[in-house]
Amino acid sequence: MKFKYTLEVLTVIAIVAFGAVFLYTSSTMSGAEFSGSDNVGSGLIAKLTGTPVENFKPLIPQWEPPSGEIESCLFAFQAMVGGILVGGVFGYWIGQKKKA
Amino acid sequence: MHIMEGFLPWQWCLVWWIVALPCLMLGIYQLKRVLAADRDALPLLGVTGGFIFILSSLKLPSVTGSCSHPTGTGLSTISFGPWITAVVCAIVLLFQSLFLAHGGLSVLGANIVSMGIVGPLVGYGLYRLLRDTSVNIYITVFLVTALADMFTYITTSLELALAYPAESGGFVSSFILFLGIFAVTQIPLAIVEGIVLALVFKYIIALKPDILIRLKIFSEEKINAARNEI
Repeated sequence: MKFKYTLEVLTVIAIVAFGAVFLYTSSTMSGAEFSGSDNVGSGLIAKLTGTPVENFKPLIPQWEPPSGEIESCLFAFQAMVGGILVGGVFGYWIGQKKKA
Repeated sequence: MHIMEGFLPWQWCLVWWIVALPCLMLGIYQLKRVLAADRDALPLLGVTGGFIFILSSLKLPSVTGSCSHPTGTGLSTISFGPWITAVVCAIVLLFQSLFLAHGGLSVLGANIVSMGIVGPLVGYGLYRLLRDTSVNIYITVFLVTALADMFTYITTSLELALAYPAESGGFVSSFILFLGIFAVTQIPLAIVEGIVLALVFKYIIALKPDILIRLKIFSEEKINAARNEI
């Protein structure tokens, strides 16, 4: 019988390798903060313009999540919406297929 | 890939909004047409759009010692083209601007252009090139996804370099600096994202090949070949 799970195996390998690379860099790279590249980018803007990061004020006033917890809650909410969409539709398709 | 609120001069905010708006309008028009023509397109939109929601919320660590997130736009680009993808991205980015302080309303145009328009457009170009060749469907999905992801971050670098040319070396040296932050971080993420979305596409083919054929996303022969392949 033909092996049918090549892509699944590749995906697992890719994810495991990704995790391994992270473990390696986080333990060997000194000064790696793993902050967002968005913030690193903003830092470079500050360096290029010679203006400190704090001096960049929002052009349109903006609500900021008061803490990292609330931010991660809202990000999880975003992922949840996606998860419901994906899971719901796959379930719907599986149901359709069974009925047919 | 978010440019933070306040970090882009208003002139550039305006430029990118002007670029983004017609694309969004075209996307909304196309979306209405596609959904009116085929009711089965809606679940497919749900799955492909759902992955944009999920993947763009995952901040993953990378080899540069900073974190970034995949875009997840590949599946939607292949299924519905770049303009409809831009509409889905605009919804995600609006949510992130309003509630997460990732990006902002003034820089939303620039962020839509990078994540929703240029990335998917480049991916879509590649998809159109590969669609009618003998290249395997899964390799096509992988390449389109990874490329759309990479070009999103390359575009962000470009937008920032245009707004902030370096004093010595000007636009080019500034572009290289921003690429070093955004694009290099993104390489491993783009590869993993490509593989994951290729796997997802396998399940879409397994469950609902008829919608892919009806929307002429891939030819029937190619879909059938892919079902037997892996």
